Formats: sequence, C-alpha cells, structure tokens
Amino acid sequence: MIYAIRTLVGQEKNVARIIARNVKDSGIGVSAVLVPESLRGYILVESSTKLDLQNPAFKVPHMKGAIEGDIPYEEIKSFLKPEPIIASIQKGSIVELISGPFKGEKAKVVRIDESREDVVLELIEAAVPIPVTVKGDQIRLIQKEAD
Amino acid sequence: MVTKACTRCHRLLEEDRCAICNLATSKNWSGFLIIVDPDESPIAQELQITLPGEYALRVR
Repeated sequence: MIYAIRTLVGQEKNVARIIARNVKDSGIGVSAVLVPESLRGYILVESSTKLDLQNPAFKVPHMKGAIEGDIPYEEIKSFLKPEPIIASIQKGSIVELISGPFKGEKAKVVRIDESREDVVLELIEAAVPIPVTVKGDQIRLIQKEAD
Repeated sequence: MVTKACTRCHRLLEEDRCAICNLATSKNWSGFLIIVDPDESPIAQELQITLPGEYALRVR
C-alpha cells in the first residue's frame, strides 16, 4: 500500500531520509520512500501495513501530516519512470525558464536537440531575438503549440 | 559534497565511480527514492532494485 505524507515544500528529501532511518530500526513495514520531483510538498511511503502516524518513527520535523487512505499502485507508476520534459515540447511551444540567468522569462522553442536534451529558445520579451541554448530541465512548458 | 548517481543502477553516492557497477556517476539526476526493504517492495521490483539504499529516478 502506498500512502502520501505532506511535508514542507523543499524539505521532502530530508523528511524521506529521516523516515527511512527511523523505520529501519523500529520494524514498521515501510519498504520504500518515494520523492517524485513533480509532486512538491508530498512524499509517498510504501508500506505493507497501515501507517500508524502515532508511532514515534513518524514524529519527524517538517512533516505536516498524512493523506487519508492509500493510493493505488497504478497511479504512482508514472512517477517511477519520469518522462523527460523534452518529449512533451515541440518547435513553437511557449516555455518559461525556471533557472539560470533568464529565470522567469518566457521563450519560444526554436529547435530541440533530443540526443543532448538541449533546447534552443528565443526570448519573447527581448527586443532583438537572440537564440539561447538551455538544458531540457531548465524549462517549464506553458503552451504546447504557438498560435 | 555533491551527490551523484550511477548511470546504470541509479544509486546515489558521492564518489566519481559507482562501487557496484564500476561506471562513471553523473551529477545530473532527478527524483529521489529510498529503498528500505527491496524484497518486500513492489516499487523496487518494478525498477529492478535488489539492494537497499538511496536511488535517483532519472539520470542523464
């Protein structure tokens, strides 16, 4: 069974590490802790028994409680094999840069290099269109196709 | 110290080479998974993980 635990955003890995360390010694049926990149503020705990949040192993800083009920295994399969973002964008897509010097800027995709996972972008708000090459994980898709 | 992931087994470590696969590790990884008990875990079986430890979900 898989349960979702709410954490502070940004503390997911720390909470997962502490839970994994605590359950190792206490003999609770937790077999894996998953921190999907796309699910901010949540971690998924795989357990053979129902989670007992009263257990001292789950008294972890930055943890904000658990979601009632378990999650079907099929639903978390997409988190286990994350598809590269580059597969979902195409030429002409509008993306937002999420890191680097142009963070927060919107840009249009000019070219995609799938083997190197590079994307060539043109900043929308720039007066002169200058091509910028960034890695596929530095962008967030806003609009799949430009009109 | 930078955490790196083995490009084959996806195990997270701090060395430049994976101790198990003896392959180069990569700094470019995402997703985080801790396997406590690989024999009891369907997630570990799905990803063919046999050793407990910390893993990345995607390594480039």
